[in-house]
Amino acid sequence: MQCFPAKLLQGRKDGEGILTRSDIEDLILRVAQGNRAAFEALYDSTSAKLFGVALRVLKDRTEAEEALQEVYVKIWHNAGRYTVNGLSPMTWLITLARNTAVDRLRKLRRSADHTQIEERVVDPGIGPEDATIAASERSRLVACFGELPGDRAEAVRRAYLEGETYADLAGRFDVPLNTMRTWLRRSLLTLRECLTR
Amino acid sequence: MSDQDQPERDDSVLAGEYTLGLLSADEAAAFEARLNREPDLRVLYAEWAEDLTAMTDDIAPEAPPARVWRGIEADVYGTTARTPWYRRVMLWGGGITAAAALVLVVGYGGLFDRAPLPPVDAPYAAELAAEDRGLVVQALYDDATGRLFVEREAGSAAPGRALELWLIAGEDAPVSLGVLPDDVRAVLAVPDTLRDRFAGSALAISDEPEGGSPTGAPTGDILAVGQVRDL
Repeated sequence: MQCFPAKLLQGRKDGEGILTRSDIEDLILRVAQGNRAAFEALYDSTSAKLFGVALRVLKDRTEAEEALQEVYVKIWHNAGRYTVNGLSPMTWLITLARNTAVDRLRKLRRSADHTQIEERVVDPGIGPEDATIAASERSRLVACFGELPGDRAEAVRRAYLEGETYADLAGRFDVPLNTMRTWLRRSLLTLRECLTR
Repeated sequence: MSDQDQPERDDSVLAGEYTLGLLSADEAAAFEARLNREPDLRVLYAEWAEDLTAMTDDIAPEAPPARVWRGIEADVYGTTARTPWYRRVMLWGGGITAAAALVLVVGYGGLFDRAPLPPVDAPYAAELAAEDRGLVVQALYDDATGRLFVEREAGSAAPGRALELWLIAGEDAPVSLGVLPDDVRAVLAVPDTLRDRFAGSALAISDEPEGGSPTGAPTGDILAVGQVRDL
């Protein structure tokens, strides 16, 4: 493990600097050893992105703040497992943030009354992020989404970013549950084929 | 569309469903159990995680409010950490187990011939103890010789980790006195610059990487603390 810039250890550096992948990896490895300075440096350099992700999923600042706190507590306790999971460091962190936010969102949905669920879920049409995703032509994923029939890509996107379940999606697209499963599994096959091409 | 049209649910599709969070709790648990023992499946999962994370590429970062970090600190360190821990140690004062150090001074026979013996007339003593007493270290210090005798009565470093001893004098930040050796008893040589600083100070032990803190300041959890007392 190489050392990362010593200045990172010297305290809070709000919003400063962009770390490379190996910088972040080093920080995670140090966090796994219980290094508080590394933990703070990791928080300083990654929390804005993870907060953005939590906000995007939860669409509620208080919920997103609580989710973010939960995420970093998990990072502190699970950093030692990072080395074996095979993910790049930002993917690991973003995945933790996304999954934590989705778990929280699903709990909220379950506890919300029915009318609130309707308000929350029935949100048809294309949100701003659809437009930005469509605009980012660099992304292989977006290109491969283009190979799916229109609403199939939307179903994958909603599962990932809105935490929608098969039941949510079947309701949204007004198809039987098994049909939705079939659509989605086909979509995943197509995507994987395209992504590995 | 009938069930016959269901595509074969190969592992890659299953890994994609898992990554999207579409599996039932039982299915997800079964998948995770397989992940732990099947490297090939981990590769499939990692591919999906990397690819689907691209959906977050365009999400703008947004700085969270400072209270989030305070909440994290309170959770993982069990304190708000606004007051440095070594200040809190000083605040506790000298009320801790005044008699404990005396135990050390007597009662060492020739059980461990090769282990260092405690100094008989050390003017300073401290008992460093974890709250649950899972780690207890007695210390005796002789400022005339600069020798600090330590004995671990309970506890040890975690595997691959080290116990590092710190002197906290006055308002100063902790200064390292070195990593405790594996031996139950040891004598540490205190640097000349610190020799006269033990009166009224506190000692602490932190959990550190092997070889000690890489930064010169404690980086891991504070495992045990104790006030230095005049004997």
